[in-house]
Amino acid sequence: MSAEVYAPPEEAAASPAKPHRAPRSYGPIRWLPRILFLLPFVYWVLWRIPNDEAGAPILADACIYAIVGLSLNILIGYTGQLSLGHNGFFGIGAFAAAYSLTVRDVPFAATFVIAGLCGALFALFMGFIALRITGLYLALITLVFGLTLEESLFEVEWLTNSGAGQPADRPEWLFDDRNFFYFCLSFLLLAVYIDWRLLRSKTGRALLALKENERVAEAFGINVTAFKLLAFVLSGTLAGVAGALLAYRIGIVTASGLGFNLALTFVLMTVVGGLGSRLGVILGASLFASLTFLLDETWVGVVQTFLVKVLSFGNHTAEINIEGSIVGFIGALGLLLTIVLNPGGIAQQIRPITRWLSGKPFSLHDDKDTGPGSVEGSSVRA
Amino acid sequence: MSVLEVRDLSIRFGGLQALEGLNLDVNEFEIVGLIGPNGAGKTTAFNCITGFYKPNGGTVTYRGRDVTKTPPHVKAAMGFGRTFQNVGMVKSATALENLRTAQHAKAGYDVFSGLIGTGASVRAEKKLTDKADAILDLLDLTAIRDKRVGGQSYGTLKLLELGCALATDPDVLLLDEPTSGMGPDESDELGERLLLLRKEFGLTILVIEHHVPLVLRVCDHVYVLNFGRLLAEGEPSFIQTHPEVVAAYLGGEDPEALAATHETAEDAELDAQLEARVHGVTATPAPEEPVAEDEPLDDDTTELPVAPKAKRAAPRTRGKTAAEQREAKAATPRPRRTKKDAT
Repeated sequence: MSAEVYAPPEEAAASPAKPHRAPRSYGPIRWLPRILFLLPFVYWVLWRIPNDEAGAPILADACIYAIVGLSLNILIGYTGQLSLGHNGFFGIGAFAAAYSLTVRDVPFAATFVIAGLCGALFALFMGFIALRITGLYLALITLVFGLTLEESLFEVEWLTNSGAGQPADRPEWLFDDRNFFYFCLSFLLLAVYIDWRLLRSKTGRALLALKENERVAEAFGINVTAFKLLAFVLSGTLAGVAGALLAYRIGIVTASGLGFNLALTFVLMTVVGGLGSRLGVILGASLFASLTFLLDETWVGVVQTFLVKVLSFGNHTAEINIEGSIVGFIGALGLLLTIVLNPGGIAQQIRPITRWLSGKPFSLHDDKDTGPGSVEGSSVRA
Repeated sequence: MSVLEVRDLSIRFGGLQALEGLNLDVNEFEIVGLIGPNGAGKTTAFNCITGFYKPNGGTVTYRGRDVTKTPPHVKAAMGFGRTFQNVGMVKSATALENLRTAQHAKAGYDVFSGLIGTGASVRAEKKLTDKADAILDLLDLTAIRDKRVGGQSYGTLKLLELGCALATDPDVLLLDEPTSGMGPDESDELGERLLLLRKEFGLTILVIEHHVPLVLRVCDHVYVLNFGRLLAEGEPSFIQTHPEVVAAYLGGEDPEALAATHETAEDAELDAQLEARVHGVTATPAPEEPVAEDEPLDDDTTELPVAPKAKRAAPRTRGKTAAEQREAKAATPRPRRTKKDAT
């Protein structure tokens, strides 16, 4: 009788013990082309560009943006909470670091802790709001939160050195831009490690579960309230630390660069990079951080001419000047393409390559690998 | 002392009295059925018991503790495992991931050691994976281990959901229509599984079910709800012939008129069975209605724990003496239950 009852389902019986395997009996040699493929990138990113006087700050920016991207990814990609106020956490981190270093004479290393804590605190506050409000209205509230901070706290005299900007001088060993890039890179690696651990521990699973269905998460014993708050705190901490890095990168913190545009850029780069994908988010962030440098005047001219051609009709000539808003323009275009064509963002586009790099044979169409953080199309479109 | 004791449970949604004065007892190692027509308040009762709804009145007691206001995630950690009427799982994750997520409360490490990646947390993760694999193996679902849950058939999902509920290391299992989406054969198989799971894990089970043969086969005691009130309770065989229950399902004295409105084959089957009772047709379909008390569960290689079987054979009495309970508990080995290890 037991044999009858526990007969395996037909599917299990039919499938062979080992799944189909592509021939790859090359052994360790198969890593050789992959390493050769990666070498130029590693060389350029870790040596060539950092040694360039103009390149190093851009790379540092890319690292800082990437940390913010990972921070936003925890909220949007894993927990399903939209934040349009990340410029707030970022700015608080920057101001906290600059203020504590310059005015309070706090040791350099401790300023990062302070920046992280300040970011976490404000994020916790926002988390409490998110417990009550979801969706569109949460997005609105976070937006207002960022705007309010920009107009209030970032204008306070003692914090901003009477509006002139709070100086934040790097210690001597970081004067060199190249060294500072490596410094930022180490922070990025730390953030990547935390993100990696997050997804591989119960915390990440809890966040992914509550993103999809809070009731199911509760039935699994997940304290939804606590883990939502935790996601905000983690995100705020990372954003705060990134803000501190920005403070040292620029050397002086003013409210001007920390407006809503920045928050929008953060969200755009995360979504275009690929929600839920670590590498995608980092690439998206790097792209947006370097966009203003990549798109020099020639490119702006090309885009502008193109737009004028498209939008002019009859005797009417369109008067367009996109010089100041080229990042926003590209971002909007990228967002549109992401939402309509590839919800997985850049990460989805480069998946054949990343899959190949991870040791599997190259193929364009194989979407079987569905990591814990991988997204369904709906998560972007929702 | 019952494992689960519900007293005077009432809840109201606006003008609708969804539950009124519900009393319900679930004893150790029992499988208790909760049946009733659509909208009778069965799922609402589940939601109140598991803490998803806050009842307007009444109490829920779990092993002597008042847990009426305990939030669901705490209850899950205490030992309430539940499934949902519509499959409750993380659909974008794989079966394995779901089973690991379900073990959240018993993961054995805290959030920060998980983030730092201490050795203990990594070892604990390994254990979670092992347990998930064991459950997949137990339910014959190893084939979908690394497949996304969303693409699976409804019947498979229901089974995997049962696995997820098991992964929470439950003491009481609350199953909301576990056989929906399954064919008759699969349903029968599930019945056998429930009996086996009770034996293996020492579970107490409360189950909402429409599939009558399954209820007759596995349940020790059945509660019938109608319009938020308890209509009848008793052993399955008693409930089967209860005139009020029959009336509630058929909606009156005119079964022929209603027979035309059968929505699904399952309803039709159910009604036909009840109809048979009304008209005194005693010949029962032989394979579908085994007599639960007498039939051994398994072949003679494994033995049943003594107590559940003995209890099922004995007439159920409310308010057992304390001595009897202790006796019953002592006599019941709970073979593979490893609560101490988990905590």
